[in-house]
Amino acid sequence: MELKKTALYQKHLNLRAKIVDFHGWALPLEYKSMLEEAKAVRQSCGIFDASHMGEIIISGDKACEFLQSMVTNDISSLGSNQMQYNLFLDDSGHIIDDCMVYHKGDSFLCVVNASNIDKVLTWLNKQNCQGVSIKDASQDFCLITIQGPESAKVIDKIFPGLSKDLTYMTFKGLDFKGQEVLISRSGYTAEDGFEIYLRPQSASELWDTILEIGSEFNLTACGLGARDILRIEAGYPLYGYEIDDKMDPLTAGLSWAVKFNKEFMGKSALLKLKEAKIKNKRVGFLMLKRAVARYGYKIYYQDKPIGSVTSGTFSPNKQAFIGMASILKEAAVLDREIEIEIRNNKYKAKIVKFPFINPKVKTKKILKEVSNGESKV
Amino acid sequence: MGSLKFNKSHEWISLDGDLATIGISDYAQSQLGDIVFIELPKVGDELIKASQLGTIESTKAASELYVPISGRVLEINNDLVNSPQWINEDPLGKGWMVKLKISDTSQIDSLMDESVYQEFVASQSN
Repeated sequence: MELKKTALYQKHLNLRAKIVDFHGWALPLEYKSMLEEAKAVRQSCGIFDASHMGEIIISGDKACEFLQSMVTNDISSLGSNQMQYNLFLDDSGHIIDDCMVYHKGDSFLCVVNASNIDKVLTWLNKQNCQGVSIKDASQDFCLITIQGPESAKVIDKIFPGLSKDLTYMTFKGLDFKGQEVLISRSGYTAEDGFEIYLRPQSASELWDTILEIGSEFNLTACGLGARDILRIEAGYPLYGYEIDDKMDPLTAGLSWAVKFNKEFMGKSALLKLKEAKIKNKRVGFLMLKRAVARYGYKIYYQDKPIGSVTSGTFSPNKQAFIGMASILKEAAVLDREIEIEIRNNKYKAKIVKFPFINPKVKTKKILKEVSNGESKV
Repeated sequence: MGSLKFNKSHEWISLDGDLATIGISDYAQSQLGDIVFIELPKVGDELIKASQLGTIESTKAASELYVPISGRVLEINNDLVNSPQWINEDPLGKGWMVKLKISDTSQIDSLMDESVYQEFVASQSN
């Protein structure tokens, strides 16, 4: 089967990217070095093509009511132009997908994982008995993101003054060369950053504009490899690894995104799981010797199996081998030494606090401090 | 450094009489990407051609290294274990892995010269 290409495919080839098949999409894994790319994002800034992500638009009189009944977080607390992290659960309380919900006033934009678009659409349509419009708009959008401490400087050169009035987890509709774009202050790296949704026909021009302006700020084109390293450093889950259709949000450490004071699909099953006691916990680990612990590797404590690795990598920003794992709750003791089985050898690791880096996102409070001159940064 | 020979699994050997230095080719390192881990045999190990020489891991995946020619390990590049990025930076120099005393020099004939290897690489990437 021919791979799907984003509107920026030729740009990636021009930059000599290594292209890989990511859930049916031909996407850049890395341009030169994913380690250098992941470092650039924490030191200056990086640009990503995330156009493979799925966009589902939910509209109609009952859109809010319907979506509220389908997601775990409370979207009724969401004002227009605000966004929120959410989960779709099946009726057994397991995760169908995680998504970002954008409140657009008269409609909701749900940004879902590329691998799950069809699954989520089928699920939503099956539950839709309120005449809500559910539209797959994935073909209508490209997604370009800028991430890193210098990203506000880059965005302000294209959209003057934007970084001052856009706080973390809010968004705005703007004009780029006569085309409407949606820009949110958000991302998948825990750095300051912006995500720009736009029509595919404008994508190349915006990409070139950002690269040109960004050269002044050491902006680096980043592939999926850097994206994965950065989200592991940030402690963010990825569908297929930390979360999947056998994992519930409480075990996955995502209870902050579950609001039990409202009704939602999967709630009663989740409450039953909670009563029966959640067995596992998501933890961070640090390898005590050089070794990459990858997905599925078994973890032991005093020779007893206690769980397995969900993601692992070499972190160029911590200069350490790190990862996340799902292990028995009673074994999840901070600073405890564990062993990870890698190619029939056991390697020592330590349970550590995560995220592995301090989030640098620009919340309302932080932006206010900056404008009042209180920030020491 | 003596003449370079290559095998199809992208290891190179440099010959000096019956002594061989082994590493991986520039093409191999560029395909692997950022190398973060290497596991090498021990000094004194008797290695058989085509058996496993060690393990190399990049940020992408773990791969096996293969013995291009049979022999006994005389020396390993210990510094490489803590600086595996040398394999990316200088695959034919600082990124050398193992020195062997060749047990059967006739095996050299089955290896490729550099020009033949480059043709092989070109045919692989098409």
